[in-house]
Amino acid sequence: MTSGWRLPLAAAAVCIGIAACGASPAPPPRDVRVVLYHDPSSLSLIGNTDQNSAQLASMISDGLVSYDAAGRYVPMVAKSWDLAPDGKTLTFHLREGVVWHDGQPVTAKDVAFTVAKIRDPATQAQSWAGYFADVTSLETPDDATVIVHYARTYADALEPWRAPLIPEHVAGKDSDFLTGGFARHPVGCGPFRFASYAPGQSVVLQAFNRYWEGAPKVGRIIVRIVGAERTGYEALLLGDVDLMAVTPDLWRESQSSTAGTRFARFVYYRLNAWKVDWNQTNAVPYFRDPRIRRALVLALDREKFAATVIGGLGRPAASSYPPESPWSDPSILPLPYDPVSSASLLEESGWRLPHGKRVREKDGKPFTFTLLLAAGSQEMADRIAAWMQQSLAPVGVDMKIEKVEWKTFQQRRKTHDFQAAMAGVSFDPTPDQYDLYHTSAAEGGFNYGGFSDAEVDRLLEEGRSTVDPTARHQIYNRLQQRLREVEPMAFLFQLAQPVLRDPRLEGVEASPVGLFQFAPGPRAWHWSEAGTGR
Amino acid sequence: MLAAIAARIATALVTLAVVSLLVFALLSSLPGDAGDDEGPKPLPATFRAALRAQYHLDEPAVVRYGRWIADLIRGDLGTSLSSRRSVRELLGERLPVSLALNACALLVMIATAVPLGVLGAWKPGGRWDRAGLTLTTALYAVPVFWSALLLQWLFAVRLGWLPLAGIATEGATLGSLGAVADGLRHLVLPVACLAGGGLAYVTRFVRTSLVETSAGDGGRAARARGLSTLGYLWRHGLLQAGVPLLTLAGFLIPRLVGGSLLIEEIFGVPGVGSLMFESILARDIPVVLALTLISGIATLAGTTLADLLILCVDPRVRRAG
Repeated sequence: MTSGWRLPLAAAAVCIGIAACGASPAPPPRDVRVVLYHDPSSLSLIGNTDQNSAQLASMISDGLVSYDAAGRYVPMVAKSWDLAPDGKTLTFHLREGVVWHDGQPVTAKDVAFTVAKIRDPATQAQSWAGYFADVTSLETPDDATVIVHYARTYADALEPWRAPLIPEHVAGKDSDFLTGGFARHPVGCGPFRFASYAPGQSVVLQAFNRYWEGAPKVGRIIVRIVGAERTGYEALLLGDVDLMAVTPDLWRESQSSTAGTRFARFVYYRLNAWKVDWNQTNAVPYFRDPRIRRALVLALDREKFAATVIGGLGRPAASSYPPESPWSDPSILPLPYDPVSSASLLEESGWRLPHGKRVREKDGKPFTFTLLLAAGSQEMADRIAAWMQQSLAPVGVDMKIEKVEWKTFQQRRKTHDFQAAMAGVSFDPTPDQYDLYHTSAAEGGFNYGGFSDAEVDRLLEEGRSTVDPTARHQIYNRLQQRLREVEPMAFLFQLAQPVLRDPRLEGVEASPVGLFQFAPGPRAWHWSEAGTGR
Repeated sequence: MLAAIAARIATALVTLAVVSLLVFALLSSLPGDAGDDEGPKPLPATFRAALRAQYHLDEPAVVRYGRWIADLIRGDLGTSLSSRRSVRELLGERLPVSLALNACALLVMIATAVPLGVLGAWKPGGRWDRAGLTLTTALYAVPVFWSALLLQWLFAVRLGWLPLAGIATEGATLGSLGAVADGLRHLVLPVACLAGGGLAYVTRFVRTSLVETSAGDGGRAARARGLSTLGYLWRHGLLQAGVPLLTLAGFLIPRLVGGSLLIEEIFGVPGVGSLMFESILARDIPVVLALTLISGIATLAGTTLADLLILCVDPRVRRAG
């Protein structure tokens, strides 16, 4: 209602815009304003990157390959590749005519330089170094060919090569990569070139006219850094921001307020889930019994929680292969809410409810455990924990909640110093989850609960060394079935990511890896006819 | 006199050293450190070890503290462990922002609190006193995150008079005068929130000091000479109440370099509050230590300055010195 007078004005502005267009050359494409909640940890594209800087890096520079909107590999700076039948040698053929933002051509030498930098601990490329661990050597026979040798068969051989490339002739000059000239003014070969950065305020990127796939259709991408989600939302209401992912609370508010309903909106799912690790080391013997792990999930009415507390912006998760993953086995469904089976599984495993008591016992010990979670900005963790506590009480399980700060949480999970631990986890679109489930991943990997199963280990080993896609699919389907039998950890929910945008900003697509880090991503964004006037 | 000041500074330096040692020990004893962040793939052990060596995290805490002190003596505040930028550079960005914000807030607070205090002390328990008390207590009682959101909604979203957040209009090309005006416009709402919260405290302090002075011999003598209460309070009372007021001002000065996490987050102000918070979470010890040091120095400077000013205004202290 309040904005009623603005519409005629906007219409008038558009008319003037059109009239002006007739007389002068086309105006420069309009900017897109988006939001980040923190400063990027680095602008060096590959070094010391957090999620924010990775998002920026993906717009500033391309890798050899990228994911598409479905999480499959597409060629970027590499126009094609051949993987040797033994899966140990990968040959990339680079695209011609790809140039850096300073006009120099992108060559195989730059690829070799990027890899060398990623593997140099001084670069602190924690986000990428793990992917390159099995690369033994790299050859660049000419400017357009890169041959990679792996120590062992690496079925997901393309995975590391999404890393944004960096130019040797620019970054090679810096004595300290993370603080030198390149990290202050990065040069890439992506669709947007770096223009400016004001710490705590904004990062400005400018469309790169000589991008190999054609210039993006928007002018600049202005990334505003706002501390609070609500501030970002209000900037959106004011028209200072064109596109943003919002929290469930703001999403609901935008649906009910007059000002909020004018936005175009969509919801998508990323490859992530809320997960509970059950400690299966000797410290907590009862979580070693798969019946107990299953019983605890069966006692949770996840459909109801998703519909009420999360307001429909989430769904029960089935496994670590969400439906968005190209490798998900569609026959594996989330465990149902079944308190009767839950109780009988607990009975079966020896945990009985003594007369007149509320908590089950076995050998005189009550079924009590503590769920560890990280305090932080994600209040969802508190809500889920409180609901689990309530849901487990009726089946005779006493759950306590312990909240610690994030670093402490990480440390305790890594050292198996917990009974059950809950956190969000995200997955790659590749099927290899060796680091999550393999017995050896209990130390140094992400198998925090110390789960161990011979068949799971065998399937994981087989899966990562099988190159043939059909055979791989069979292996990973079998793995998902085996995981369903043993339920090593509980995948509770997948939370939806709601997005609001100016309805005139078109071409905004989501992928299982987000709004930015895939092809075409922001390169496809454009303003509709009505939106180009401003 | 000089010896007293020198002694005071020496005590303060020792205090600072002890505080920095405590902060260092506390942060080092927390689980986890700056070198243990996880990537999407587990890192090879050799890579992880090399990474930790760069941060000197492979050395004992005592050695690291010694290294920090040695660097400090050379005037080097070190390098941030999370952003890898020099702490001096980080402070150079954040401190002026906090300083401007807090200085404006303090000025507004004092400029409002003193007249309100005088009005209150004019007729204690009277209409003005009660009105001032109600107003300032209400401002004090309102949670700052709520008043901030309310102000944002009213002045930025609804009326559109003031910018919503940030400290400058990005992309705007302004002259130097225009840039200052733009900066001030951005400061209005956060300054109002910061000043509003502290108003009650300072107003009550001013009022109480004035009431005491006014009830004393000086006040009685002035009234006997036919001076009105208000006239006395303005002309003599404030000066007489100067000692407690300056002491209070001394305690307020450290606020200049302190951060306000909530205000900074809500209004998108890149100040030291959010830097401190993030640095603690990231175990970024050099940054936390530098910020601790600065607030320590500000506290020392504030109290010393207040003492010196008291010397100037209070003839009794001056003579005794």
